[in-house]
Amino acid sequence: MSSHYEAPIRKPLIIGDKNYHDVTVDVARPVEGRANKQWWIAFTIALAAFLWGVGCVAYTVGTGIGTWGSNKTIGWAWDITNFVWWVGIGHAGTLISAVLLLFRQKWRMAINRSAEAMTIFSVIQAAMFPVFHMGRPWLAYWVMPIPNQFGSLWVNFNSPLLWDVFAISTYLSVSLVFWWTGLLPDFAMLRDRAITPFTKRVYSILSFGWSGRAKDWQRFEEVSLVLAGLATPLVLSVHTIVSFDFATSVIPGWHTTILPPYFVAGAIFSGFAMVNTLLIIMRKVSNLEAYITIQHIELMNIIIMITGSVVGIAYITELFIAWYSGVEYEQYAFLNRATGPYWWAYLLMMTCNVVSPQVMWFKKIRTSIIGSFIISLVVNVGMWFERFVIIVSSLHRDYLPSSWTMFQPTFVDAGFFIGTIGFFFVLFLLYSRSFPVIAQAEVKSIMKTSSETYKRQREEQGNDNHSH
Amino acid sequence: MKVLYKSALLVAMASALTGCFNKSEPNYQYFPNMYEAVPYETYSEVSAFPNGKEGQIPAAGSIPRGFEPYEYENTTEGYNLAKANLKSPLDASEVNLAEGEQLFTIYCAICHGDKGDGKGNLVKREKFLGVPSYKDREITEGSIYHVITYGLNSMGSHANQLNQKERWQVTHYVLKLKSEL
Repeated sequence: MSSHYEAPIRKPLIIGDKNYHDVTVDVARPVEGRANKQWWIAFTIALAAFLWGVGCVAYTVGTGIGTWGSNKTIGWAWDITNFVWWVGIGHAGTLISAVLLLFRQKWRMAINRSAEAMTIFSVIQAAMFPVFHMGRPWLAYWVMPIPNQFGSLWVNFNSPLLWDVFAISTYLSVSLVFWWTGLLPDFAMLRDRAITPFTKRVYSILSFGWSGRAKDWQRFEEVSLVLAGLATPLVLSVHTIVSFDFATSVIPGWHTTILPPYFVAGAIFSGFAMVNTLLIIMRKVSNLEAYITIQHIELMNIIIMITGSVVGIAYITELFIAWYSGVEYEQYAFLNRATGPYWWAYLLMMTCNVVSPQVMWFKKIRTSIIGSFIISLVVNVGMWFERFVIIVSSLHRDYLPSSWTMFQPTFVDAGFFIGTIGFFFVLFLLYSRSFPVIAQAEVKSIMKTSSETYKRQREEQGNDNHSH
Repeated sequence: MKVLYKSALLVAMASALTGCFNKSEPNYQYFPNMYEAVPYETYSEVSAFPNGKEGQIPAAGSIPRGFEPYEYENTTEGYNLAKANLKSPLDASEVNLAEGEQLFTIYCAICHGDKGDGKGNLVKREKFLGVPSYKDREITEGSIYHVITYGLNSMGSHANQLNQKERWQVTHYVLKLKSEL
């Protein structure tokens, strides 16, 4: 204690005089307790939405893509919109667990577990769209370069859609490994606390025999750091590759070099918004307000504000370049976005993504739970519309006026999207009742630097900063 | 032991997967999306036609482009008329004895023999007898063409194997063989 210097300006990350045991109990409580009525209601709704989505997907695969609103001009609409949206949401999880780890941000520790869970669950949702928007999804395995009987016919590695396959599958597997590695000490904690033989057995299997020896911890830290170092370029490249689906095309409005960083910024933006949405609810229902504090929410709001501003700059850059390029197709594409038949989508996107995060400059709003919650929802609506606007408004009016058309989604389009939302919440609700939603091992590691108790002690005894 | 168990499992799985293939039946197919033709394929069975065949006979008297009907009848009079009057439409530059030889070897030599001496393979093996040598018969280019087109006695028509020009090439080759006998 006495050899530690901690700037007094830093606010505590663990509030309410918690000790190590309290952390354990607080994290284990939702897992060890029984689900209440509200959980069952939420779960039933999510499950119903999921099953409805399964029905819509089955209908699509059984009947054909023609059940969707896509047409000959607009081959990509809600399917890819939702795909990019879900992938984008997933990015915040890796950002929080990897990038913030590299930057030694202690506040990530209370939120990284749920953020990573969110990543994994939303990448699973995202991965369904590339498969089920295929006309012949049962031949999806052809995208893999597998030696075969067609004279070893291979894939063309020039398509960003193939890079998507590699990006998404790598992203999902690395995220899963990163997440699970972090879970080992926490599962071991649940294993050691388990009362019934069944839960004992389950958490014994899940925790891979973690015994928490010094050597284990040393390697654990190294693995986490290496994985964080790998996941950071991965997270940037995955959404870059997703943006290449559009940026490498020749469509006016798609063919822009700004897309890769702009999509990544948008992904962080929407992802953090989703984390905020989920955690604001979770801290309440799981009684984790001592760990997911208003400061966590404020910091996430600041990231939302920063990335929202980056996205705003990207919008302005696009508009400027369209004007500056002198390419009439490019100019028309943006004129069409602003004043064409989808002006309302563009306006919604602009309002939600550019205006709404700017309110976070006001401390009153960014430290308000309800304010953050509303903005986080607004941001995700806005980011959905960003993808919709980029995809549909660029496609529905491009080079040949004779191919100009409109897009009208069908109930199947919507059903699939609702289904993925349902599936996401099914997974997330199950997760929140069976997994340690806070990385207790990590939170315990900042107990003596950042908890309210120790901060107060330091204040009373004085920071021993001139003793060494 | 573990390796043994695993390899045994692999072999069992592989045989379970491939064991269902029966050589006397077409194999199983995975999503045969465009395996069966939607349009009518030549020689296929078609329930839409009364005789169930894809190949329907054209209307009598119709003449396809690039085809001339053969004017001589399939009778003794027709034969005699063709023998006397029918002349080859091929001029010297169009006569291709090499092509005629190939066609003769394929369609004729099995009975008539490579030299046209009536000693083809089927005759040598005594599958049937009575194929005359070209030397012994009074034949002209008109009669040769007529016989290839309609057949004569034991010989059947070859009009469905050889088109008009090919028949004339064979005719010229037969005349060459006759001159060499």
